[in-house]
Amino acid sequence: MTSELIEMHLKLLFDYDNLLNDMDEPSYKKIGFEVRSEDRLSLVRTRNDLLKKLPAEIADAYERLKKRYKRAIAPVENGFCFGCFQKLPTQLLTRSKEIIYCPNCGRILYWRKK
Amino acid sequence: MNLASLLAKERINLSLKPGKKNKVIEDLVYSIKKGADAELIVSTLLKREELGSTGIGKGIAIPHCRSLAVDKLEIAVGRTTKPISFNAIDKKPVSLIFLIIAPPQDPGNQYLITLGKIVQIAKELTKKHIIQKPQTPEEFITLIDQTEKELRKRK
Repeated sequence: MTSELIEMHLKLLFDYDNLLNDMDEPSYKKIGFEVRSEDRLSLVRTRNDLLKKLPAEIADAYERLKKRYKRAIAPVENGFCFGCFQKLPTQLLTRSKEIIYCPNCGRILYWRKK
Repeated sequence: MNLASLLAKERINLSLKPGKKNKVIEDLVYSIKKGADAELIVSTLLKREELGSTGIGKGIAIPHCRSLAVDKLEIAVGRTTKPISFNAIDKKPVSLIFLIIAPPQDPGNQYLITLGKIVQIAKELTKKHIIQKPQTPEEFITLIDQTEKELRKRK
């Protein structure tokens, strides 16, 4: 699996997990966007299928981080990890194509395209 | 947070070409993001639509999701020149679409607050039958601002 494909799968997985998180918020249901439990379950199945497509070590890390922080991926802004708000070491900022983890909190880092 | 202040006239299209639901969502996303980011946002929005339409009834739809591709709440508005099928909860076609994309990290959960506010304002617009009234993006923003202020006064 190429690193681009891994990144795409990870981002989609993350987006689906965010959908699931929001669906569970009482305020979301109050707005009137309640999702039926069988539809929620189908989304859980889709995200599990996506997870299986990832290399095992990345899938494991993602699940572990999700359990710990709720959101496993954090964007990088101005050299900071936006998960733990710690400055990232300069050598990390010259980004290679590999998946990079925050050395402080361990979250998977994401560089937004400008 | 004031909803009108989140609207940008460049992202309000009051003569949106009618078409299939997915294409209309795609067109609105492309007014915010381009390339691979846009494709990813479209995939998530369509996945959300699969779970139940965000057509809230009376001609209004509010597709929404979070995405890593944005660093702040982004809104695009489209009014189609002819109503389109959106599988809305009342089964009626839709002509006004508010599309919302929020960043995953969102202090104070502004995303859900804004989503609730849009639903409230949209319902007010339909109650007064004034969805078709604004002719320019500037008029649209003014209408949203006025409606928001009226709702605030009533509280």
